[in-house]
Amino acid sequence: MRICVALSVMVALPAVAAPPPGASSCAGCHGGGGMPVLAGQPAEAIAGAMLAYKAGQGSPTVMDRIARGFTEAEIRAIAAWVAVSR
Amino acid sequence: MARVLINLPRTARRGEVIEIRTLIQHVMETGYRPRADGSVAPRDIITHFACLYNNEEVFAAELAPAIAANPFLSFSLVAAESGILAFTWTGDNGFEQTETRSLTVT
Amino acid sequence: MRRRALLGAALLAAPALAQAAPQVVVIGGGFGGAAAARALHRLGVAVTLVERDATYLACPFSNAVIAGLREMEAQRFGYDGLRREGVAVVHQAARTVEDRRVVLADGGALPFDRLVMAPGIALHPDAIPGLDTEAMPHAWRAGPQTLLLRRQLEAMEDGGLVVLSVPANPYRCPPGPYERASLIAHYLKTRKPRSKLILLDAKDAFSKQRLFEEAWAALYPDLLEWVPLSSGGKVVEVDAAARVVRTEFGEHQAAVANIIPPQSAGRIAQAAGLTDRSGWCPVDPVSFESRQRPGIHLIGDAIIAGAMPKSAFAAHAQARVCAEAVAALLRGEAPAPPKLINTCYSLVEPGYGISIAGVYQPKDGLLADVPGAGGVSPLGAPAKVRAAEAGYAEDWFRTVTADAFG
Ligand SMILES: Cc1cc2nc3c(=O)[nH]c(=O)nc-3n(C[C@H](O)[C@H](O)[C@H](O)COP(=O)(O)OP(=O)(O)OC[C@H]3O[C@@H](n4cnc5c(N)ncnc54)[C@H](O)[C@@H]3O)c2cc1C
Repeated sequence: MRICVALSVMVALPAVAAPPPGASSCAGCHGGGGMPVLAGQPAEAIAGAMLAYKAGQGSPTVMDRIARGFTEAEIRAIAAWVAVSR
Repeated sequence: MARVLINLPRTARRGEVIEIRTLIQHVMETGYRPRADGSVAPRDIITHFACLYNNEEVFAAELAPAIAANPFLSFSLVAAESGILAFTWTGDNGFEQTETRSLTVT
Repeated sequence: MRRRALLGAALLAAPALAQAAPQVVVIGGGFGGAAAARALHRLGVAVTLVERDATYLACPFSNAVIAGLREMEAQRFGYDGLRREGVAVVHQAARTVEDRRVVLADGGALPFDRLVMAPGIALHPDAIPGLDTEAMPHAWRAGPQTLLLRRQLEAMEDGGLVVLSVPANPYRCPPGPYERASLIAHYLKTRKPRSKLILLDAKDAFSKQRLFEEAWAALYPDLLEWVPLSSGGKVVEVDAAARVVRTEFGEHQAAVANIIPPQSAGRIAQAAGLTDRSGWCPVDPVSFESRQRPGIHLIGDAIIAGAMPKSAFAAHAQARVCAEAVAALLRGEAPAPPKLINTCYSLVEPGYGISIAGVYQPKDGLLADVPGAGGVSPLGAPAKVRAAEAGYAEDWFRTVTADAFG
């Protein structure tokens, strides 16, 4: 009985993998309006670029300032998520 | 010399209450703020303000470290007679600055 | 199976709502609300968006409209994209929020299990004695005011004084007034070169200040003057008919005056009891749930977001995080602590862009800067960097409006 009550209140929503911290902000820029689209790119390449920017390599304009706000593990998680979502 | 702004009417009717606004550009360093090297920035504030109207003190204020930079003071007085208003700010490290304005009372 | 279904039905007879899919209502179809509604819909939540206006006029790039560099229609977005996807859109003003239902201006009501509100700002011209916004426009909400200010500039004779006044913090779009001053200065320089612009400020420091000042010194040296609070920049009163702007220490005879008044969270937020004494809405930085009324979430300009500025970028980022949190709560899960990003571009002339960025995380009940991240574009950067950022500003606008409005 208790199970039924619980089920009835928390109506099932499709379980989707929630974005890791930071990932959902990427859609503000990377969605096809001119800046690189991330969906469909290899996660390894996205993470590699972010890690390079974080380390001060390359010549991005803002992505270095943003990448410094994330740990390597967070960057890898974000890359894996944005590579497959839209 | 610090930059000072003073706003008061040039003329007033006898008995009229006039509003005076003053602002002095000053860092108001509290004496508690740690600097990048870990040392504490020494206190440097304005401690006292006074307004003399024909040599008689009509308004004064004590200022404390918690007061923000560029202290702004506004007060009012009764225009009794034509004369000179003298505004004096004094503070740490021997700071003292006086500005004067004339007021014509009709 | 059968037994369980029956049992469920019997149980549910009393709370009739419980079995139905959870209803989420979103009030406000701006950058925050429209993006939240779409994100919730994609997460499988039944959403109804309540928006007063039939179309939305976006503020970012509206300074370019004022300066004659862009047309207003480029700022307009509709809600057909949301409808096509299956978001119910109701064009009504929300009047009040009762317990678990939103009351609309036409008397109708929408029940909700959770409510998301993104009502933007209310402007308070009455805080400046003498102000009449038809004579001295604010243009701080894109629309007729934007075009009024543009027409006033167009009608002004060469040699006139433009006065722009900026309120104290917090207000919508911290760098916005300085971008506006820059683009108006550009208009004056190219069209009415004997004119001047005075920027009266109720603050002593502002967003991207050194970058703006670097650009102003190079582009508009004798044309644009910034008067900070400590030099008497605070406007205390205006005479709208005579176009006189009075500060604490002096007065200016303007040909055109653009007075940006102080602001607070949109009126419905106050009516719903969601604002605190500051006039803005305190929220939990993980779920964006109101600290004053459980079950109601707030995003965008209306909230106290700690270090995060009131920008369209931020409203959109908060919308995505809030939608995830609402969906998690409806599933009976606790939302995970988020990180959010903001990037704001400003134009100082066509093809010359500068930016500020930040990364934020919940800390001590607010959103705080992630240490070591964020910052502004470099000083003294070559023209190609400025041109790139001007281009990115447009890319961002295209992307974020497509993400919010479809
Ligand atoms: C000149 C200017 C330039 C700017 N430039 C930039 C920029 O370059 N980049 C950037 O990121 N940000 C910029 N901004 C800031 C940006 O416009 C705001 O931060 C953003 O609009 C906030 O989104 P929001 O969803 O919180 O509110 P809004 O966009 O104001 O949306 C609120 C919506 O709610 C609706 N609403 C309100 N009350 C009700 C009610 N009771 N019932 C029904 N509907 C209601 C309104 O009609 C409106 O559509 C700029 C702002 C200005 C003024």
